[in-house]
Amino acid sequence: MKRSPTHLAEQLGIDRRRFLAASGSGLSALLLAACNSQGPEAAQSLLKFAERKNESLERVLFRHTSIDTPPAGAKIAGSQFPSYFVSKEVPVWDEAARGVWRLEVGGMVNKPLQLSLADLASLPRTGYKLDHFCVEGWTAVATRTGVRLSDIAKLAGVQPGAQYVDFQSFDDDYHESWDIDSAMHPQTLIVYAQDGHYLNPSWGAPARVYSPTKLGYKNTKYLTKILFMPLRNGGYWSDKGYEWYGGV
Amino acid sequence: MKRHHPIVRITHWVNAIALTIMIGSGLRIFNAYPAFARRGETFCCNPWEGKEIPDNLTFGGWLGGARNWHFAMMWVLVVNGLVYLAFIYLHGEWKDLVPRRGVFHDSIEMVKFYLTVRKDHPRQGKHNALQRMAYFAMPIVAIAAVVTGVAIWKPVELSPLTTLLGGYAFARYWHFLAMVALVILTLGHIFMVFTVDPYSIPSMITGGYREDLSPEARNARPFVHLLPNSGRSHTSSTPPRR
Repeated sequence: MKRSPTHLAEQLGIDRRRFLAASGSGLSALLLAACNSQGPEAAQSLLKFAERKNESLERVLFRHTSIDTPPAGAKIAGSQFPSYFVSKEVPVWDEAARGVWRLEVGGMVNKPLQLSLADLASLPRTGYKLDHFCVEGWTAVATRTGVRLSDIAKLAGVQPGAQYVDFQSFDDDYHESWDIDSAMHPQTLIVYAQDGHYLNPSWGAPARVYSPTKLGYKNTKYLTKILFMPLRNGGYWSDKGYEWYGGV
Repeated sequence: MKRHHPIVRITHWVNAIALTIMIGSGLRIFNAYPAFARRGETFCCNPWEGKEIPDNLTFGGWLGGARNWHFAMMWVLVVNGLVYLAFIYLHGEWKDLVPRRGVFHDSIEMVKFYLTVRKDHPRQGKHNALQRMAYFAMPIVAIAAVVTGVAIWKPVELSPLTTLLGGYAFARYWHFLAMVALVILTLGHIFMVFTVDPYSIPSMITGGYREDLSPEARNARPFVHLLPNSGRSHTSSTPPRR
């Protein structure tokens, strides 16, 4: 028994070669029509999907025991360390207008804290020579001194439901939120000194968060507030299109 | 006769698209810091430190867009590559792609032929010796690109791998060089397809291939004997050209 043609192209009397050529040109026309400089619009939801899957994988790869150690011969970047902020000018804490700078630790904590720079300096001090991985692809080595965020979290009594941490600043509206695991990594520090000196304004004074497990843009400078939260709330660069997780 | 199995044809074109997007977005990412040196240091092995890639060769619009494309398309590239390698292994196609004994000697004969030192096309099977080496090298370089890429994606969580490759800056350099090798192989492939064996293009779309139009049958070298009836030495009644 002869089977009747069932394939759409056969029903239309189009042979396979012509069908392929036609669909090929149709596809490229579609791509061109829906394409801006970032690629086809329709792809954006697929890219978001891939970002979510990548985050799940990155969370699986994350280890509290994976420690960053720059090679022994690596040079401290020192004055070559780039300065970066989003305000028009270097953000400097104006003590006359805003009073003494204090780092607020709040949200889902049993004991909210207000830590002055002297308070921070009196807490157990941790220092590492660390790589800095910028989203742009460069790295720089600096010695970071400060307090482990996990120590501060213990002091404030973080509640079990806190899954995320937001790091807020006085550099306009700059902030970035993190997963709690990365925040509690032993190399995640509230840094107040770099290369042996208190931070200068172009490096984020009075204090900043720093962890080699996160790309540079996740590490908020000019800190004002550390907020423990049940949900994530994006971030300055995460909202603009860099991946939210930003793990290294 | 069918020259390429549907799985080979599909993975070929998926790879062509994925690789193009990976290279374009990778170059856009590179342009955000077009150098390899750690801040405050110099890098031994790149004479063009700081020099950007022309914008119109890049894809993704900006660094964030390019990264999102790069980290999504990498899965397409890897899964597609694994499907291809598994298929050619299980289905036996690898025998046409793995260099045989004497492949270097045969490659020299091919080069001699292309340089017109030798008049007649060396005997070959499905692919000539140069093709075998190129098609064998392609997956190896691609694997190198993936491994070096993973090393600069996760230099802390997978630091043993990054360290093995000489640290982050060198891993990034190897990743770049793997890309350069892929570009060279791909451009060479496209050039040879269009100037020596354009009749193989349908074979990668419908699978069909006419052996009587093969480069060996036409005695074809780049731009020479491109037309179906030129240079035929085995099937025509006229004697072969010296």
